[in-house]
Amino acid sequence: MRSHRHASQTSAETGIDLAPMLDFVLNLLIFFIITTSFVREAGITVNRAEAETAVQAEDGNILIALRPNGEIWMDRRQVDLREVRPLVERLHIERPEDTVIVIADKSAKSGLLAQVMDEVKLGGIDEVAVGAGSTTGR
Amino acid sequence: MRLRRHFDHEESTGIDLAPMLDFVLNLLIFFIITAVFTKELGLPVGRHGGGATGPATGKETGSISVVVKQSGEILVDNRAVDVRAVRANVERLHAQKPEWGVMVTAEQDAESGVLVQVIDQVRQGGVENVSFGTSSQ
Repeated sequence: MRSHRHASQTSAETGIDLAPMLDFVLNLLIFFIITTSFVREAGITVNRAEAETAVQAEDGNILIALRPNGEIWMDRRQVDLREVRPLVERLHIERPEDTVIVIADKSAKSGLLAQVMDEVKLGGIDEVAVGAGSTTGR
Repeated sequence: MRLRRHFDHEESTGIDLAPMLDFVLNLLIFFIITAVFTKELGLPVGRHGGGATGPATGKETGSISVVVKQSGEILVDNRAVDVRAVRANVERLHAQKPEWGVMVTAEQDAESGVLVQVIDQVRQGGVENVSFGTSSQ
């Protein structure tokens, strides 16, 4: 009887103080919220060319992919060449610091790449990079 | 004395943090899962021709010309070279004209894989100022 009372009383009174854990978890949460970059993915995987001097584009968050058959993918859907400019304009207004990476398939046409880059520039984003894979692997 | 007792009562109840902790942990897990840490790799290039923008070189001094043909042939300064020789050629020309940028001109139907390789080679050759344009066949 005595032992039973002892056990129940201590467990009820002490418990674990959750406040420090909550502080810690909140800090982690804030860290992840801040570091989350909302990348506008193209929506498809293309067979990209490899380059040794490829650099990580700062704020390169808008991805446009070009397929070998001339399809343009942006924001997880296929778009027409004429749609690229208004889409880029809209995304540029939403997040002005974002830059564009045009990821062309190895066998995509250079003419299309140039046209897409022009449309992006007309859309208001001057910093355009041509996407490339790294030769060393990620 | 009565006040003191009231205070004691407050302390013993407190706010139960457990539900809040559950909620915050769920948020945390969501953000960990959706976090994207991989930055995309790219080659920064300017544009020349095409009408939309002026010459990306900015300087009126001139530029080293690299042409990528539809057949995959590459001309550096109007001389046909292999992809792997672009770097050496650009290095040589860059040493002669250090202030010049490189203009990579591709034919409309040239494969962009070759184009990226050429731009990569040019950048390896020490020229950061690369602009890209297309020629009408």
